[in-house]
Amino acid sequence: MMFEHVLFLSVCLFSIGLYGLITSRNMVRALMCLELILNSVNINLVTFSDIFDSRQLKGNIFSIFIIAVAAAEAAIGLAIVSSIHRNRKSTRINQSNLLNN
Amino acid sequence: MDLPGPIHYILVALLGSVLILGGLGVVLLTNPIYSAFSLGLVLVCISLFYIPSNSFFVAAAQLLIYVGAVNVLIIFAVMFMNGSEYSNDSYFWTIGDGVTSLICTSILFSLITTIPDTSWYGIIWTTRSNQIIEQDLISNVQQIGIHLSTDFYLPFELISIILLVSLIGAITMARQ
Repeated sequence: MMFEHVLFLSVCLFSIGLYGLITSRNMVRALMCLELILNSVNINLVTFSDIFDSRQLKGNIFSIFIIAVAAAEAAIGLAIVSSIHRNRKSTRINQSNLLNN
Repeated sequence: MDLPGPIHYILVALLGSVLILGGLGVVLLTNPIYSAFSLGLVLVCISLFYIPSNSFFVAAAQLLIYVGAVNVLIIFAVMFMNGSEYSNDSYFWTIGDGVTSLICTSILFSLITTIPDTSWYGIIWTTRSNQIIEQDLISNVQQIGIHLSTDFYLPFELISIILLVSLIGAITMARQ
């Protein structure tokens, strides 16, 4: 069935994003991997909305909300990263210990 | 839109291979600007994915918001912070990476073995039975608009407040 293949793709994208989110050393790359995870969630929501709920389309509405929250998260995250880069001259994750001292 | 079977299969296979290769490119490419463009390719492929599953409004919103706003913002941030640290950013394979790849592949295979075991046809039958058979003269976009202005009115207003607060927060954090 075609719908399970789409779910397999979503699972692959989710695990790739999770691996990148844990192992990346660059903050911008970690934000990109977070976008991958949110997009795999969106694929699941749209697919289930088409299969199970084709009359009311509530999965589409939830995916629109997720897209809006992801846009806000990307703006806030990149502002924090640029602020850290201005103070530390680096965007490495393991060197951002501004709250440490 | 209801495509015939082989065309739909070829489309899903092609888009899926591009999507997985692009996702691996986001993680594994050493230069962040290449991984940002690879992320753009992945987002375009996902928005093309939504079109065969009758979700035209979400496809257009994905293309506008993700590719047009978020990806451009990420590319600007990568170019703005492109220092000398990226050039010697060699990729060391540490033991933490091995443990993480093991955990992620175990999550992947457990989910892949879970998906065919679930009885999707039973769920489809139970949800189809109690749906009100109504004439769908209105399109999907009109249906989304009706839901956003009646059922989901409070989350819609809350999301606008969240966007306003994040806009002000991003400006005050970036300009000092």
